[in-house]
Amino acid sequence: MSQITVESVSQSIYENLLTTLIQDIVSRTTTEEQLLRARYNQSLSPYYYEKSGALDIHGNPKQQDSSVYVHCDRCNRDVSANRFAAHVERCLTRGRR
Amino acid sequence: MTSSDSRSLELKAQIQQYLVQSGNYEIISSKLTQMLLEDGWMDEVKRLTNEEIKSNDSTNFTQILAKVEPQALEMVSDSTRNNVINQIRQFLGEIVDTE
Repeated sequence: MSQITVESVSQSIYENLLTTLIQDIVSRTTTEEQLLRARYNQSLSPYYYEKSGALDIHGNPKQQDSSVYVHCDRCNRDVSANRFAAHVERCLTRGRR
Repeated sequence: MTSSDSRSLELKAQIQQYLVQSGNYEIISSKLTQMLLEDGWMDEVKRLTNEEIKSNDSTNFTQILAKVEPQALEMVSDSTRNNVINQIRQFLGEIVDTE
């Protein structure tokens, strides 16, 4: 005969609570993953991670801002991205005069 | 199943029903949830689940649960475990007679 003690009942109530929590977490995580896989079938790959922190989530190194050019709609010129704010200040005030 | 087994199941069900009705079940449940959250157990289980999904290359709930559940039960810290079991025991002590 299985002994029913306060101990064993406490234990089983505790396990009930815990397994419910675990099942909840696991079911959420699996459905989430299923949805991701169904939606982005082949192209789904995790974000790139590198310990040293040199590469971004696509696995690319940092691009130099000075090598990027932004087109200024007002004066129709390409301006270096890291000088754009300074350019706009001059470009817009000159235009107003 | 012997008659004593079904009797003990019935008793457990009765006790649980009493705990729910008295509101104690909710107290215990939310306390456990809070402690596990503070321990980082919740995030740890989630990480473990994702790892199992990856290593088994399966999102089958039953299959993943079978792998995760035993490990997750082990991962509960001793202090949380003892704390919650003590609290349950204390509530039970108030409502049951022991021989």
